[in-house]
Amino acid sequence: MTTRTSPAWLGWAWVLPAGFLLAFLAVPVTVILRHAVGSWGTAGLSVADARGTWAVALLAAAQATASTLLAVAVGLPIANVVSRYRFRGRSLVMAFVTIPFVLPTVVVALALRQLIGPGLGPGLLLVIIAHAYVNLAVVVRIVGSQWHQLDPRAESIARTLGAGALQAFWTVTLPRLRPAIASAAAVVFTFCFTSLGIVLILGDASTRTLEQQVLRQTSVLLDFPGAAASALVQLIVVSAVLLLGTGMGRLRPTSLQASRLLPLPQRTVPRLLVLLVAVVASLLVLAPVVALVVGSLRTSGGWSLQWWVSIGSVDAGTTRIGSPIDALATSIRYALVTAVIAAAVGGLAALAVLSHRTGRALAIIALAPLGISAATIGLGTLLTYGRPPWDLRGTGLLVPIAHALVAVPLVVAVVMPALRLADGRAAHVAATLGARPTRAFLTAYGPILGVVMLAGAGLAAATSLGEFGAASFLAREGAPTVPVQIARLLSRPGEQSLGSAGVLAVILVIATLGLVMLVDGMGRRMLTR
Amino acid sequence: MSVLHAAPLLEVRGLSIGYGAPIATGIDLQIAPGEIIAVLGPSGSGKSTLLATLAGIIPALAGRISISGRDITQAPIQDRRIGLAFQEPLLFGHLDVLGNVAYGPRRHGASRPEARARALSLLAWVGLEDLARRSVQQLSGGQAQRIALARALAADPLLLLLDEPFSALDADLRTRLATEVARGLRERGVGAIHVTHDVDEARLVADRILRIQATGAGTARLMP
Repeated sequence: MTTRTSPAWLGWAWVLPAGFLLAFLAVPVTVILRHAVGSWGTAGLSVADARGTWAVALLAAAQATASTLLAVAVGLPIANVVSRYRFRGRSLVMAFVTIPFVLPTVVVALALRQLIGPGLGPGLLLVIIAHAYVNLAVVVRIVGSQWHQLDPRAESIARTLGAGALQAFWTVTLPRLRPAIASAAAVVFTFCFTSLGIVLILGDASTRTLEQQVLRQTSVLLDFPGAAASALVQLIVVSAVLLLGTGMGRLRPTSLQASRLLPLPQRTVPRLLVLLVAVVASLLVLAPVVALVVGSLRTSGGWSLQWWVSIGSVDAGTTRIGSPIDALATSIRYALVTAVIAAAVGGLAALAVLSHRTGRALAIIALAPLGISAATIGLGTLLTYGRPPWDLRGTGLLVPIAHALVAVPLVVAVVMPALRLADGRAAHVAATLGARPTRAFLTAYGPILGVVMLAGAGLAAATSLGEFGAASFLAREGAPTVPVQIARLLSRPGEQSLGSAGVLAVILVIATLGLVMLVDGMGRRMLTR
Repeated sequence: MSVLHAAPLLEVRGLSIGYGAPIATGIDLQIAPGEIIAVLGPSGSGKSTLLATLAGIIPALAGRISISGRDITQAPIQDRRIGLAFQEPLLFGHLDVLGNVAYGPRRHGASRPEARARALSLLAWVGLEDLARRSVQQLSGGQAQRIALARALAADPLLLLLDEPFSALDADLRTRLATEVARGLRERGVGAIHVTHDVDEARLVADRILRIQATGAGTARLMP
């Protein structure tokens, strides 16, 4: 994109994102590594500690494997239906399936606790169900987009060659989906392996994750070298799984063809099956959200607005951590600062990628936080900027900075493709008409940049509102964010705590879905330009 | 070269086709063993829908389809002994060339060596036995289309449905391949319905040419 009509400042777009990533990603990860290696190199971490860390890793791997299998098993039929068939309400079913993924994990945990918790009780099964619920969208989106592109006639050919319907699926369709299933499974495994909010609220001793271990070592045991070692083990496992997933996930381009949605099957039984999957998927996904709303409107005495009315009072929280409404104010403040930082850093990183050759390396680094768990980011930030000489705790910036790190890859992912869509030749035309480089650049990219930067900021704000892992490390005792406040309320007994947590969760659902719908709307507007 | 006096291989009576609403009705058709007919018609006239209905991919809205005297109107796709080839070869990307051609014999209960032997003989017939272990991603367009035809014939169909199978190839190759395939089908006594919009290609390969023509009531009929 850099041409003679490009403004000079575009060549420097990489400086801010590079500086931000160096200071708040590279340095903290190095600090973690130094702590971990130091603890292993000296007598700081005993063999028993190291064994304990790997034991937790094994436990978490078993849990994540089971969660992934369930998510894939439930996700495949839904992916089949929403990505292959045309029917009324298809987009709605797709939107419903996406809801659990965009909801904050503590909200999902509370919702499932409200719906099936009383019958099931905390433990491995509840955690596996919750993880499958959250990650259904990952399977449906990744596998579905591949399935949508597979030419259904290949399966018809297999049928004419003598294969039954199941056999044709097994021998022709499934092998072609395997790369997508491997990619989706690797991503889901990573999310489940590094889970925090869900295991804290729905788990027991059998569901511990390294993420939880890092939090415990940091906040209860004050064992920073041990925490760093756990974070490192987690980083190693996650990187290995993601590499394996992408290796197996290499797609064979010639087996793909842009294909259109099929009409519903004409035979009654297959037709009913497709519709049944769509209806059951919608109900499965919506039931916990409905249970959450209902829970916020009920007390032991029946229907009531009591929890909603008392949400502003300190009694609704605890005198120690302030009222839920204060947590809301904190979360909104953090979300706004996160949106500004992430949009600036992510937007400039995307511009740098398009304008600068070394910018491509920057893009890979900008996407790196995707593979690093929120608690690792939280711990690294805390170890680096939570004590002298660079103590930022008093500035109120620690949480937004950590949230911005989590959100920057999302902003890059939104802004970059949109910039590629814009026709850069408009800048040349503007230049020939007398526009100076900056004006020419803004003529070509300004309109689209405005929309996508806003969309990216909205997504960053939604991420910040729901983020739990990093905030649980960095939120100050007296100023928790809403997800942290929900987790704290749920760890206390009593109907009042549960009721207040329920109200906060519903408010988060509304705010998150509102922001995501806004971003989605902007995306559509951009595509129809 | 009429072969109509022989007992019909395919007999279609009063067939209505379409996705839900009929797009062609009252289709009557007879094909003798080894006979090749061409069906001409503009895009969207229902040529491909006719083939999909005969193959069993979509159900017939009305009428009856028999093959060698057996009513297959309701039969599952895999039990019809009808092969199918499209404009795109649609080879199975996760299998090599031999695996693609051996796919049908394996589904029909052949052992691995039997299926392999049959696949190799079909590959020899299309002149591509040297490519048996080649990945299907490494084939040219013409090679891929020959493999697709070998794969269809390896399943031993009574009738082959060809949905514009040569239209993606250049003119020379199209003519050569169409002639070779027509000769091979006749040698093997396999009947075929060849859908195309190219009149020259139809004349080159077919014993008879039929046209799908609109009747004016939003539907169409098959006419000589």
